[in-house]
Parts: sequence; structure tokens; C-alpha cells
Amino acid sequence: MFPAQYDDLQIMSHAVVGFPSLEENEKAIAGLAEAGVKLIELQVPFSDPVADGHTLVNACYEALKHGGSVQATLDLAQRVCARHPEVTFILMSYLNPLYRFGLEELFKQAAAAGIKGMIVPDWPVEEIEPWLPQLDALGLAPILMVTPNTAPDRVKKITRASRGMIYVVSRMGVTGHETHWGEKFQNYITEIRKHTDLPLAVGFGVRTADDLNALSGKAEVAAFCSQYIEWQRDDGSDVAADKMKTIIEAIA
Amino acid sequence: MIRSDNGYFGEFGGRFVPEILLPALTELEDLFFGLRDDPEFWQEFVTLCQEFSGRPTPLTPLRRLSKQLGGAQIWLKREDLNHSGAHKINNVLGQGLLVQRMGKQRVIAETGAGQHGLATAIMAARLGLEATIYMGAEDIERQYSNVFWMRQLGSDVVGVTTGAQTLKEALDEALRDWAASVETTHYVLGTACGPAPFPELVSYFQSIISDEIKEQSQRQMGRLPDEIVACVGGGSNAIGAFAAFLETPEVALIGIEAGGTSFEDGQHSVRLSHNTGETGIAQGYKTLFLQNDDGQLGDTHSIAAGLDYVGVSPILAYLSQQGRVIPESATDDEVTEAFSLLMKTEGIIPALESAHGLAGGFKRAKQMRPEQNVVINLSGRGDKDIFNIARAFPQREWTEFLQREAARSTELLAQKGGH
Ligand SMILES: Cc1ncc(COP(=O)(O)O)c(C=O)c1O
Repeated sequence: MFPAQYDDLQIMSHAVVGFPSLEENEKAIAGLAEAGVKLIELQVPFSDPVADGHTLVNACYEALKHGGSVQATLDLAQRVCARHPEVTFILMSYLNPLYRFGLEELFKQAAAAGIKGMIVPDWPVEEIEPWLPQLDALGLAPILMVTPNTAPDRVKKITRASRGMIYVVSRMGVTGHETHWGEKFQNYITEIRKHTDLPLAVGFGVRTADDLNALSGKAEVAAFCSQYIEWQRDDGSDVAADKMKTIIEAIA
Repeated sequence: MIRSDNGYFGEFGGRFVPEILLPALTELEDLFFGLRDDPEFWQEFVTLCQEFSGRPTPLTPLRRLSKQLGGAQIWLKREDLNHSGAHKINNVLGQGLLVQRMGKQRVIAETGAGQHGLATAIMAARLGLEATIYMGAEDIERQYSNVFWMRQLGSDVVGVTTGAQTLKEALDEALRDWAASVETTHYVLGTACGPAPFPELVSYFQSIISDEIKEQSQRQMGRLPDEIVACVGGGSNAIGAFAAFLETPEVALIGIEAGGTSFEDGQHSVRLSHNTGETGIAQGYKTLFLQNDDGQLGDTHSIAAGLDYVGVSPILAYLSQQGRVIPESATDDEVTEAFSLLMKTEGIIPALESAHGLAGGFKRAKQMRPEQNVVINLSGRGDKDIFNIARAFPQREWTEFLQREAARSTELLAQKGGH
């Protein structure tokens, strides 16, 4: 499940469904679970991922050539949710593939597969609000994003509609570059906490053990994604899982 | 004037962007909504277009060609005579006025044919702004002369190498840049697509085209035209040519999409006609996209880089759903034929994008009576297409010239040690 407010930092990592292949996804996810990752995003690959940097853009492109799709994500979810009950699986997608699948049907099937939350970066809060009763009934948490330039009244609106956690985008830009965790960042976190009791998942630019140490005590979840996908791409899923394990042990 | 219902045109439009882009879009919308009904602002825009881009552009009768085709009288709205060579500059000059009011120092743009990028580079040079233009690597190869001029004008042209390396990918990349730079940078979107308020805002500035057509046709034909025909990429020149006539049902409005080489997937860019496009939500808005059953945006093809796009303006998607705009298409071959015909019969060199409007318009004019009038929006001039046209009509002389020029330029580079 999702951590409680002020729990110790947990690691969220990532799978792009179909990258490097559908078979490899299962092995990689087992490796992440073994390494101590507590939350895993299953990303539906998309042709036009506008919130992602080049690592994930290229992974999406590869994944689409290797059978990645909404249906493949649901199938994978079914298997990995059953096999790794200690891990919370989150569906990450751009809106169009879900929209084409049919949102209502998608929500039902995702919940039935054991998915606990959803991150959809191009799905604005106004469009999500009407779905909340249905999502709440299914136990499927829409995890909404707050960014450094989100105005306070909008932070309020977003945190109200969000469930499970708040996804705190650490800085301006897309995924895949580094972030600085100074005083400005601390103020940003403090500001968001004024509006919500939900745990905070910080993402964009979490790439090293130092980043994790910096976030420890500030956030409940650190999204360690692009760097992991780069390890997976360059060294294979086994080595990537080993590296993840080393990093998690270093901060424990 | 074209007005959305809270960003929507029927079921199409909206604003589906990562949260990070939202403040800039609302800032832009607030500014635009505050200005669009102000006659002084419109006058400021019209004056700028006069002084800098030579507006009003003429409405030219094609006497010889009309006679030869034997149908309606054909007129061209000469957007090709704009500074920079296409209608794209209307929108860019308008957005330049907004940039000045926002006080932003940097602009970014996506471009397909390079005309919008060129117009943006011109505006940036004139206003002393920094400019980065995103262009698919494939399109850079197809429209290199525009890339050359953008760079000479001082813009940074970034080749986009993801996916099919055309306009869709350039738009994605511009959005990624904007996510990082939104506080200091304005995104000059080049067509009537993307998240609200862009479709409405771009249409507002481009509607200067139909304002002029209305006045000129009264003066030159003594009445309104029977039909207006325009090519449709993202849809900005078409909406610009249609806007003033939306409430005048006697004037038929025809949009010509790129039929490419066939209706097979990936061989065309037809979204409105033939039920090839399906409702989807991507690149910040909801419209008819070419896509597969999994919601992945599809590949497109057109001989014209500026029409080679998977989505289409939500305003045109709505107007064609309503039956107000009639969508048709022209194939690559029909387009090169219409290109030659106009050039040889009337002495005008059209852009390949605009030649789609010609192909569609000529076909319709032939079916009409001589006392009827068709206006075709000639959205741009063909200078940029010299390489594409040379390829469509191969000649030894041209190839030999390129070889000599390549040798000279290589030698010069070696002497001067350029980079
Ligand atoms: C000359 C010309 N016409 C038409 C277009 C298509 O764009 P739109 O449909 O927005 O007018 C372009 C785009 O690059 C162009 O350069």
C-alpha cells in the first residue's frame, strides 16, 4: 500500500512495458522487488511522451516495437501484482492510450489486476474530478502532480483530488536531468504539506544515493526512474537490480 | 470571431498538458482575452502587418487558367506575398505583440516546412529575442533553405531525431523545452492546434486573411465568392481564410488535406475526410488524430512537409463534423500537376502545401459555372521547395550544378577553415 505520512523514505522505480521486452519486464520487476523497491510504476509506452526526457522517450519507442500496449500492461500487472504482494504497482500512462481503451473499462480492469494507483501527466485535475467517485469505489488512486510553479489555490485543488500520494515534481523541465535539493526545495515541500496529509512522492532528477539521502526525512517516496532505465538499457536488468540494491542498502 | 466554449469547440479542443505548463497557458489566455475585443489592439496588429509584411495581400484573378479549365473564375488570395513567403507570419507578428506585453526574452517554435520557424526567426531578430526552433530531422532535409535562413537570422535550429522526425516530434520537443523554460520563454505555436488558448489565438490573428478576402471580393467581384478553398495542415491558413464567412452559409468552405501516395496507413495525412482520423487526446488537445487501436499516434506522409501532421485544428474538426467545412484531399501527384499548371499558366510559384489547395480548387472550379467565383488561399510561395520540385521533375542539368556547387563549397570551407 501507500506509505503513511512521515514514514521512512521508500523507493519507487519504473518499468516501461515492452522495454527491453515483455519477458524481461517480469524478470526486471522481480529484481526490483528483491532489491527492496516498494512501489513500481508500470508505464504504458506512448508515441508522444511530452513530459519525459530522452531516456524514457527512447525506451517508449523501443517498447512499442516489442509489443508494449495498454493490454500488455494490464496482462503484466495481473501477473506481477499476484507475484509481488509486498510491492504497490502504479499504472503510469499518457492519456490517449487509456482514452482509446475506454477509461471506465480501463479503471475496472486495472483495479481487478491489482493496480493501486495511476499517474497520468497530461490529465488535468478538472478532467479527473468527475471520475473520483468511481475511482474511489474501485480503490484506484489518482496520484496527481504538483510542480514548482503551481499556484497555491491550485495546489489546494490538486491535493484535494489526489489519492494515495501527491507526486511532487522536483523542478521545472522533463524527466532525466539532475535536481538540487536546497532550501528552495525544502520551502516548496513545506508549502505543499500545508495543504495535505498525504505522503509525498518526489520525482524528476532522483539519480544517486546522495539524492536519496537528501530526500530522506523530507519525503516519503523517491521516484528513481530514468537512472534505473539507463542502467537497464546499458547493463541489463540483472545488473540494474544489483545497482538498485546497493543504493537502497546505502541509505538504509 | 471564433469563440471557444471554455477551450472547447464541440467535443474538440481543451487543455491536456502537464501541470507545469498550465500557468503559462492561463497567463497567455488572460492576456489574449483582455486584448481580443479591443479595436486598438487589432489596429496595432493590422498596422504592423502593413508596415512589416506588405498587407493587405492582393486577390489575384487567374484569367487565363480559369478560361482554360472552363469553369468558375478562380482567384488567389496571395499569402505568398507576405514577408517570409507565407501566411505563418500573420500569427507570428501577432504573438510577437503578446510576447512584448509579457516581457519574455526568449521564444521557441516547432516547424514543419520551416515557414513558421522562419517567421519566428524573423520576429525574434526584429524584437531582439533569443529563439530556438525545433524541426524534425527529416523536415530539415526536405526544407533546408529555410533552415539556412533561420540560422542566418540568429536562431538556434534544433533537429529532432525521435520517431518519424517530422512535425509531430518537433511539437513534442518544443513542449519539453517549454516545461523547463516556461517562466522566461513564450512558445510561439505555429498553427491552430495545441492546448487552449492556442487554436483560438492563432485563428484570431490569421482571420485577417478572410477579413481582406471579404472586402476585396466585394470590390473586385461585386459580391462574395461562392467557394473558398484552402490546404489543411494544422489548419491555420484554412481557418484564417474561412473565419469571416462562418456565418455566411452561401459561401462554401473547402479544406484540402494531404492525400499523399495512397490511403494506406502512413502514406497520407488525411484526418478529416474518409474517416481516417479518430478522436484522441495528445499534444495538449483533443481532436481527430491518425492513430492505431492502442492510441499510438500514427505515421504520416505528404510531399509537403507543412501538411505532414497527425492531428488537426479542433476548430476544423468541429466545423467539418458540423458540415460547415467540407474536407477533401489531393494526392502528391495531383499536387505536382497543379503546381506546374499554375506556374506555367499564370507565372506564380506556389508552395507545395498551397498547391494542395490549388489541386482541390481547380477540380471544383471545373464543375462550376463561369459566373461563379472560387477563391483559393495561396498560403505560401514555392522558393523553399526548389529541391523538392527538382526531385519531382529530375533534370541532369540541376544535378550537375549541385555537384559543381558542392565541390566549390567544399573547397571554400577547406580554405577558410569554416565549421
Ligand atoms: C505555405 C504553407 N501552407 C500551409 C501550411 C500548413 O499549415 P496550416 O494548416 O496551419 O496553414 C504550411 C505549414 O508549414 C505552410 O508552410
